[in-house]
Amino acid sequence: MISRRALELATAVLTGGFGVSVVISSLDNGIGWSSAGVDAGTFPFLTGIIIVLGSLYNLVRGVLPVASLANVPIAITPFELRRLAGLFVPAAIFVAAIPLAGMYVASSLYVFAVLAIPKHQSVPRALGMAAATALALYVVFERMFQVSLPHGALAAALGF
Amino acid sequence: MDNLGELLHGFTIAVTVPHLVLMVVGVLLGILVGVLPGLGAPNGVSLLLPLTFGMQPVSAIILLSSMYWGALFGGSVTSILFNIPGEPSSVATTFDGYPMARDGRPTAALATAFGSAAFGALIGVILITFLASWVAQVALAFGPAEYFAVYFLAFASFVGMGGAAPIKTVVALAIGFAIAAIGIDTVSGSVRLTMGVDELVKGVSFVVAVMGLFGIGELLVAVEEEFHARAVSSKIDWREVFRAVGRLPRHGIALLRSAAIGCWMGITPGGPTAASFMSYGIARRFSRRGRYFGTGEVEGIISPETADHAAGTSALLPMLSLGIPGSATAAVMMGGLMIWGLNPGPMLFVDQKDFVWGLIASMYVGNIVAVALVLLTVPVFAALMRIPFVVIAPLIVIICVVGAYSVSNSYLDVVMMLGFGIVGYLFKKLFYPLAPLVLAIVIGDKAEDAFRQSMLMSKGSLGIFFANKLVTCLIMAGIALLLLPLVLQLARLWRKPASPATEPTAQEKVII
Repeated sequence: MISRRALELATAVLTGGFGVSVVISSLDNGIGWSSAGVDAGTFPFLTGIIIVLGSLYNLVRGVLPVASLANVPIAITPFELRRLAGLFVPAAIFVAAIPLAGMYVASSLYVFAVLAIPKHQSVPRALGMAAATALALYVVFERMFQVSLPHGALAAALGF
Repeated sequence: MDNLGELLHGFTIAVTVPHLVLMVVGVLLGILVGVLPGLGAPNGVSLLLPLTFGMQPVSAIILLSSMYWGALFGGSVTSILFNIPGEPSSVATTFDGYPMARDGRPTAALATAFGSAAFGALIGVILITFLASWVAQVALAFGPAEYFAVYFLAFASFVGMGGAAPIKTVVALAIGFAIAAIGIDTVSGSVRLTMGVDELVKGVSFVVAVMGLFGIGELLVAVEEEFHARAVSSKIDWREVFRAVGRLPRHGIALLRSAAIGCWMGITPGGPTAASFMSYGIARRFSRRGRYFGTGEVEGIISPETADHAAGTSALLPMLSLGIPGSATAAVMMGGLMIWGLNPGPMLFVDQKDFVWGLIASMYVGNIVAVALVLLTVPVFAALMRIPFVVIAPLIVIICVVGAYSVSNSYLDVVMMLGFGIVGYLFKKLFYPLAPLVLAIVIGDKAEDAFRQSMLMSKGSLGIFFANKLVTCLIMAGIALLLLPLVLQLARLWRKPASPATEPTAQEKVII
């Protein structure tokens, strides 16, 4: 179970962290005024400062008990968390597999896995949908719009 | 009268067989992405974008804008028939649309929604026809300082009127600016904010951000709840359609008020979502039957739908005449304009007359095509909703992955897209607004350039932003909008010192 407060906290830390890295990295480009006008780092530096300050404000607002927005104690229930993971984890594995397996193999494996393993569809139907996905991608992108999708290291090793 | 002549010329461009075909294709694709949860108008338009590179700009924009109209209509179909908003901007339509459909009047609910939506869109297009070229003429005299002031006003109006928590809006905007700054700086040529990743030199495309924020993010929000498509009957009774549309004029005041709210929110970039919520809230307060809202009231459908479409349409006015998009989808289209080599802004009305007036004329025709097509295809798309979500979800993930990859054939983009997905989910869950983030990514560079050019002109003095009446007014209006939430809160504290410091924002209130 994840509380609304924890979620607000995590998001504020995330945005604040991004802000800090923007500020630090913008210092490399110089902030302030030079012979060429406003230095390249100035604008990012200012936006970074705004992000950090805003995140601090959101952090305090999210953590303070009385002022917490809308008083929703629970943001994500364990059940919802399982469903979220059920969508996101396979998607992340799919993306991670693309460099090795290529877009076509990875996407058809992905479709097959999410449909057949939790038994949402029968194995033959899941196989059919997986094959149809790869075929549709090939026809639409490689043939119709001439966009080459990654074929993967495995296919390259096999000589495709 | 000049405008009418130009408009007629525009019709000769828009009403040709190839363009009508593009409209039909665009509208159908739009309804499809509007109906599917997780895919919306911003993703749909960014997915189509790479496919338009070989087209004439005017044909490309007709395709993309028709898709936008289709998506706006498609979102209402699922809101009414399934109680599942296909688009964030049609959430408010579920409040009265679904109860009316459940009561056995689905045709009346759909026809009321489409009729009022078409009215809203019509008012929006008429506004564009008469105002856009005038605004562009004024804007031709703008220098960098005036441009920066207009950008500032646009961003400030998100904070002051967007409906989300003001500081969260500020953070979202600033993150967008920072993302826009990644890569090569257009003024000095130096590389910025790559944080050691060489591949980031090319910058972060707004398409990647849109795919993640709106695609994966929305999918994650949708998967949380068990998905029950408890559909009501989706059969269309044509006599009922005409009866429902015939009853619309009786609600003339609600129609006009909602259209006015929508146009205002579309031009000042509040966006369609904020417009529909605001219009619903105001209608509930002022309608004589306000306490019946939520049980299937006609005005409860008319108000959000009219405002949604009026805002969606008029969001193109500032995009065309100033180069400032009024909604997330308009921001994506503007990105397209820049890729096609056009320079969005007042010069369009001088250099690209055919493009501008062809687009405006196509908006009249496209909306008529959209109403007709959506009525004809309701049963087909309603059947699509019966496909289980577990089958649709992986397909949408694949579409987003391929969409992000095909922007510049980069694997890093795909990984970033997934990261944006998590951010989109967190932001949606905690009511951070996404539209300002996308807007800032698209026009962040232009706003920064305008600022730096003004600074060069004034040799570093901020006085240039108060140098003449126009720019002073714009800056002051922007500052006023920025301070508006603070003033409202102080006023509340002053009236009721004991009241809790925070109140849920309008959208949160409705959702809770």
